[in-house]
Amino acid sequence: MTDAPIPVTVLTGFLGAGKTTLLNRILTEQHGRKLAVIENEFGEVGVDSQLVISGDEELFEMNNGCICCSVRGDLIRILGRLLKRKDKLGGILIETTGLANPAPVAQTFFTDDEMRAAFRLDAIVTVVDAKHVLRHLDSGDESVKQIAFADVILLNKTDLVSPAELDGLESRIHRINAVARIHRTKDCSLPLDQVLEVGGFNLSRATEIDPGFLELEYPFEWAGGYALPAGSHELVIGHFHHHGHDHNHEHGHDHHTHHHGNENELDLAVLPVGSFDEKETAGARDIAVKVFSDWERRVAEGESIDAGPTLNRLQLVEGNGRFRLNLEKAGRYLVFEQCSEVLLHIRVCGETARPGWQQDFHAAHEHNDAVTSVGIRQPGDLDGKRLNDWIGELLRTQGGDIYRMKGVLSVKGSDKRLVFQGVHMLFDAKFDRDWGSDPRVNTLVFIGKNLDRAKLTEAFKACLA
Amino acid sequence: MNLVQQWSAKIEDYVIDLEWSPDGSLLAAAAGSGPIVLLADDGSGSRHEFPGHDAGTNCISFSPDGRLLASGGQDGAVKFWDVVAGQHSATAAAGPGWVEHIAWRPRNPSIAGSQPGGVLLAAAAGRKLVFIGPDGSVRHRFPDAPKTLSALAWEPSGGCLAAACFGAIRLWDADDYVPQKELPYANGIHALAWSADGRWLVSGNQDPSVHLWIPAEDIELQMSGYEGKVRHLSFDHTGRWLATSGGHDASIWDCSGAGPEGRAPAMLPHDSTVCAVAFQRRHGLLATASDDGVFVLWSPERQQPLRATVRMPAVPTCLSWSPDDRFLAIGSAKGGVYVLRCEP
Repeated sequence: MTDAPIPVTVLTGFLGAGKTTLLNRILTEQHGRKLAVIENEFGEVGVDSQLVISGDEELFEMNNGCICCSVRGDLIRILGRLLKRKDKLGGILIETTGLANPAPVAQTFFTDDEMRAAFRLDAIVTVVDAKHVLRHLDSGDESVKQIAFADVILLNKTDLVSPAELDGLESRIHRINAVARIHRTKDCSLPLDQVLEVGGFNLSRATEIDPGFLELEYPFEWAGGYALPAGSHELVIGHFHHHGHDHNHEHGHDHHTHHHGNENELDLAVLPVGSFDEKETAGARDIAVKVFSDWERRVAEGESIDAGPTLNRLQLVEGNGRFRLNLEKAGRYLVFEQCSEVLLHIRVCGETARPGWQQDFHAAHEHNDAVTSVGIRQPGDLDGKRLNDWIGELLRTQGGDIYRMKGVLSVKGSDKRLVFQGVHMLFDAKFDRDWGSDPRVNTLVFIGKNLDRAKLTEAFKACLA
Repeated sequence: MNLVQQWSAKIEDYVIDLEWSPDGSLLAAAAGSGPIVLLADDGSGSRHEFPGHDAGTNCISFSPDGRLLASGGQDGAVKFWDVVAGQHSATAAAGPGWVEHIAWRPRNPSIAGSQPGGVLLAAAAGRKLVFIGPDGSVRHRFPDAPKTLSALAWEPSGGCLAAACFGAIRLWDADDYVPQKELPYANGIHALAWSADGRWLVSGNQDPSVHLWIPAEDIELQMSGYEGKVRHLSFDHTGRWLATSGGHDASIWDCSGAGPEGRAPAMLPHDSTVCAVAFQRRHGLLATASDDGVFVLWSPERQQPLRATVRMPAVPTCLSWSPDDRFLAIGSAKGGVYVLRCEP
């Protein structure tokens, strides 16, 4: 008499981001299935044909209030009651307030035996207000957590911001949570199969990880490709000029600077490329990695730099500076910048040049307190015991900082993939399908605070058999 | 020992609660969707239906004299149904939250005639606790509990009511409405039970464990090691044996003397999660059910406790022994009500 578990979708996001719009959209468009909605106490769902219940976000705090050990008492109670019906529900939607930490919700489905058996956490969906999210990200912990915990992120109200700002937002969100699927929406309009039954917590599907995210760390955060004529051009750092139409095309900026290290120095390298195709840019990127580890050349305000394999350390005054970029011949150039948050403009004959290509890179020197994603990709088989000891120790000492964890691992002695998934100190692991002809490569991702990429990678490698 | 089906009936939805009238002539069954059905135990198949609560009924209970059936619903109301006249008699608003727990104050057998405070019903809705008279009048509204009330149990003499929420159990004086005692417990509580002599108060917990108190002596014991949260508790009529759910076994603790600490519980195995436990009222048989539809009778004091096993056609939801212990009523998730005769 064991039935398939009922899928649960958790909707998070700050007040006004559009959660209610999304909820109402789901309820009106899902005719075939009987859904129950557990609203937060400020809920205002307007569809009365469906089952809407008000929750109160009551926490059961275990172990002296440690959030990693807390579960949602109201969910246990309400969901327990929702099971008491002859006809099974088709799905559950849980709406949380903007202030709620999503961890106890997820933990409820990991720890409570009844909830575990009857329900399946499908995904945490976070609705983000594109217009106001930066303010929230800068001022509060909770909105960062809601992004960090998400499986799906709706970057909503796209009509209120420029495409350039959206690119910037998306890259900032991506830096926090590299594995969530991000959808740009207006009025939360998107096909519902992007939100429901997405399998965010399905061990196998949860680990369809964007390989781009697992790339190496780089000593630079951004590169822009420019087609430039020969000559001496102006390189402007920081100063923000309004020059008519061409004023707002800086890359991925959120108008406040988090500079790393000395804020009056900026490392920069300019390398020529034949084109902006992947082969050329990747080649230049690899050269830039070497250049950035080389001795730097200090460049004072007004001085010139050349294209070539030289690391230029620009000397700034209060974050600003003007320099010359001398190019012997016309062509395409990649400018590698140490910190993506610092504005950079190349002005050719008074006009700001636009990058024809650009890319963000994961820098090695993230802020310690920032929420980030660390991905590890490593071929080879793992020693089961060493892996177990490491994960156990890691969660014991750093579980509070690790919000989400997902992975597919290759364990020595098993033909099957070991897939796992965790929230704080709790995790589930199981062998799913045979590796078959797929290469046995370990992939795992951590999202959280104080993550030391080098240390995690090294410790993981030590688990190889 | 044999279990023979005496009769059965069908109600509209999941049988969320089931109770015999004090004289055993009626069986009341509540559907999760709302309707409450009175079934006559005379083989006539006659039934009477009350509408219950629009948004869904959570619990029902007969008054000690058997004239009224009280019900709590998701509409935040407590309703009273006149069993003799077959109609609704009163409604009391308990709170905006669901009324999930109701409990009539037991008659104190040592006091002849009527009790000083009279007949009253305790009802919990969210964090609100109210005492309600049989006419639907609210006798007392208690201050809001710090968290949602999760279980109520009257001390068997009717002197105080134990009300649990995450963090603590409070014992409220039945006549003066003042707190007699607070028993802290730093976890979620799903069930409460008193032993018949009023000596032990037990909670079934989220953590998962059972916690036992002797409130009069300020003694408390913690019994852990469960597979899952403990949602069902039942004491036998002597107060010695405590049966609990909490995994694939029903566990029985010996509460004689200083209590179960240091004693291993008897484990009564099921193949699936135990979803109901109920001792007979005046005899020693224990009925347990698991969510694979299997239902078992045990005699805990015997060397070989297993007495009978029956497989039901649907997931059992609740059990109720008739006042004379001859019949066991079982409700199912599909709306079935089965009455089994217990033949020695």
